[in-house]
Amino acid sequence: MKKKNKFKVSRRTIMKGALATGAVMSAASIPSSLFAGEYNIPDPLKALPTTGGNMRWIDSGDMKGVFWKKLFPEYAASRGITIEYDGLPWKEINKIVPLAVRNGTVHDVFQIPLNMDPGVAVAEGWVQPWDDYIENIDEWLAGFPSGVYLPGVNQFGGKTYGVCLTANKRTGTCLLSSNKYMSEAGYDPQAGRMTYSEVRDAAKKITKNGNGQYYGWIIGGNQVNRWEDVVHTFGQVAGAHSGRGGFTNRHISFKTGKFVIDSDEYMAAVELLLQLKSDGSAFPGVMSMNAPQARALMPQGAAGMIFQGPWCIGTWAKDAPDWEFTIASEPVPDGKKAEPLYIAEGGSNTLWLSKDSKMGPFAGDLVRFMGTEQGQIYWAQTVGAADPAVSPGAVAKAGLTGASAQALKMFNENLLVGPNPIVRNKDIGIVAAKSRLPDPSLALVIQGLYTGQLQGIEKNLKECNQRYEDALDKAIDEARADGANVSRDDWVFPNWDTSSNYGADKYLEL
Amino acid sequence: MYKKSLSQQIYDARWCYLFILPCSILTGMFVLYPIGMSWYFSLLDWSGFTDDAKFIGFQNYVEAINDKFFWDAFYRSFIFMFGTVPVKIVLGFIIAVFLNNQVLKLSPFFRTIIFMPVVTAIAIIGIVMTFIFSPFNGPANKLLMATNLTSGPIDFLGNPDTVLPTVMGVYVWKWLGITMMYWLAALQTVPQDVYDAAKIDGAEGLKLWINIILPIVLPFAIVIILVEAVSALNVFPLIETMTAGGPFFSSEVMEVYIFRTAFITDAGTMPRLGYACAAGVFWGVAVLFITALQGFWMRKIRRI
Repeated sequence: MKKKNKFKVSRRTIMKGALATGAVMSAASIPSSLFAGEYNIPDPLKALPTTGGNMRWIDSGDMKGVFWKKLFPEYAASRGITIEYDGLPWKEINKIVPLAVRNGTVHDVFQIPLNMDPGVAVAEGWVQPWDDYIENIDEWLAGFPSGVYLPGVNQFGGKTYGVCLTANKRTGTCLLSSNKYMSEAGYDPQAGRMTYSEVRDAAKKITKNGNGQYYGWIIGGNQVNRWEDVVHTFGQVAGAHSGRGGFTNRHISFKTGKFVIDSDEYMAAVELLLQLKSDGSAFPGVMSMNAPQARALMPQGAAGMIFQGPWCIGTWAKDAPDWEFTIASEPVPDGKKAEPLYIAEGGSNTLWLSKDSKMGPFAGDLVRFMGTEQGQIYWAQTVGAADPAVSPGAVAKAGLTGASAQALKMFNENLLVGPNPIVRNKDIGIVAAKSRLPDPSLALVIQGLYTGQLQGIEKNLKECNQRYEDALDKAIDEARADGANVSRDDWVFPNWDTSSNYGADKYLEL
Repeated sequence: MYKKSLSQQIYDARWCYLFILPCSILTGMFVLYPIGMSWYFSLLDWSGFTDDAKFIGFQNYVEAINDKFFWDAFYRSFIFMFGTVPVKIVLGFIIAVFLNNQVLKLSPFFRTIIFMPVVTAIAIIGIVMTFIFSPFNGPANKLLMATNLTSGPIDFLGNPDTVLPTVMGVYVWKWLGITMMYWLAALQTVPQDVYDAAKIDGAEGLKLWINIILPIVLPFAIVIILVEAVSALNVFPLIETMTAGGPFFSSEVMEVYIFRTAFITDAGTMPRLGYACAAGVFWGVAVLFITALQGFWMRKIRRI
């Protein structure tokens, strides 16, 4: 039996009123007339309440925010409500959402913190199912590609708790390069995937051409997750097949059930980063800047290459429309064939409906529209490859061109669906809730190797790998002590063919 | 002689209590309550996200004591304090001496200029300083290279050897104005007669300051040092905005360590509010103990 929350005391109740008032007054209530008429919003399938109201929505912003800020005023005007949108970095969402849930001021529609398993949010009573608010939900769900909605991922107890309007078929470490600098260095940025040697050579030549004014490569080194993202993805491309996502997926080979942090492929990726530094190709001050700062410096001509995500495309198109760049796949070690990258089943940017929300009818109506082909086309036309629409058909009809189209083509070619242990065994959600990242994490180890505070790539990655193994074993032991039926075998998928998608039928074979 | 009862005394002072009531309520809500609850949370294995909190006694404290990163942050916090407090005390005193001089006509102007960083939001300063110290077109590096003090740019905030001294320098610059004001207040308690008498007796320059003025302001110095020491142990906003404790823990002080443990975890693992509270309580008690020790020794010195 779930314990009632014994930490609710009157102080929070007093603050609730003040916070709710402040929240209503503070964030983006956009005038409904600003973008009138851009979207053809259909009538609701069933009558909505006529009492109006204010719907609050929070997500991680970026290009999603650009779209919502265009759509929300029109939708709000058509339904006689107001919509308050907060697009915040994940660091803020990770802090704000749990606090808001605890003091009863959480937004109506929100994304759950990255470090939280969805099953925990459902079990803790943070969210309610969308079933009552999305008309003909079964028919609506059938319109999504297979594998987007899965038990244990966004569906629990036969009901849909999380809505995915975007696909998770993308990476965040593509090679984005300046056409001008690459051409001057003798490289054709459109030529496709480069090898590590080519990246190093191009970076050296760009740096030489720059003569102190610009450099070959840049990264937001202060933002530790970027180091891990780069090494993880490069390692996968080089052949260290592993999952993506949270601690219970990331860096784990689903062939062996073991972490691959100390693999040759990961070491080679770290070595590439260190070589870029020792070559003098790294932009000075990478350790002082975060990823958005590094991204902002690219169109200013500070560097020739950056390993970043497709969200740069929309930002650069807006901030520097005349700057020409190319997006290409992640580089591969010399002599190696590029391997697929694996994503888990399900979509991304999952939206959850607050348990206490009174705006469920409107949220359900809006989300239902966004799940239709027309809604998905609207999404794709604005957001593009930054957060690809979950419907491939809609993406094709959106008429995307240029870097967005190139990025989507790359993702379709390079990404496959891999196994997801939690789909196989729901109790892995309990393991996720118990898991604690060891100190220092892989991200910090790579950062330490880059700054020179740690010496020896192999030694440090081996030690890091062991820490991760120990941490997962400890989380499994704690989960089992709480009654979970899990073992390391749950991470081994002997029927995984790394050259094809791991579909729902594969889980049944196990 | 008639002695009033406690209730009568309280009733007689009722307006005082009424006026301190709002502040007391706010103090209770935002200071005492969080302190008390953090002691309780420190005894739990709790993420802060869920209701699933398990009482584990002092296990969090044991884990913190055995955590190398905890002690590294602890050590760095005191490095920060010992590196900034003496500089602020001495510099603040020297500036206060100059600005206390009635002959100096522009004294109010200089006081304002030196005090301006104090009233500027610390988060803004942190962010602006990342641009000022940037090795790419940052003004600090441009000045150093233009004056041939360095041949190439220095990554002040990205180099583990320079990051902490740089943040310490910004901290001193930001809060020097308040130390100056403390010293000005102290110096202005010295009667003019003392200066006149000293002049007549031939005590001038350094002799005046060492033998006459400093002994008079010494009690203030004790208080100023104590206040500055505690302030130097509370530098979270500045470090979080400038470096977030990096690179690779080089500038991670205790508050950043606690914040990282409580909130900022990598994707896929839960935060550890219980453990972070234990680290916070341990830190608070340590600071209290060291402050008390400081106060004890300062008073001993004062008696001498």
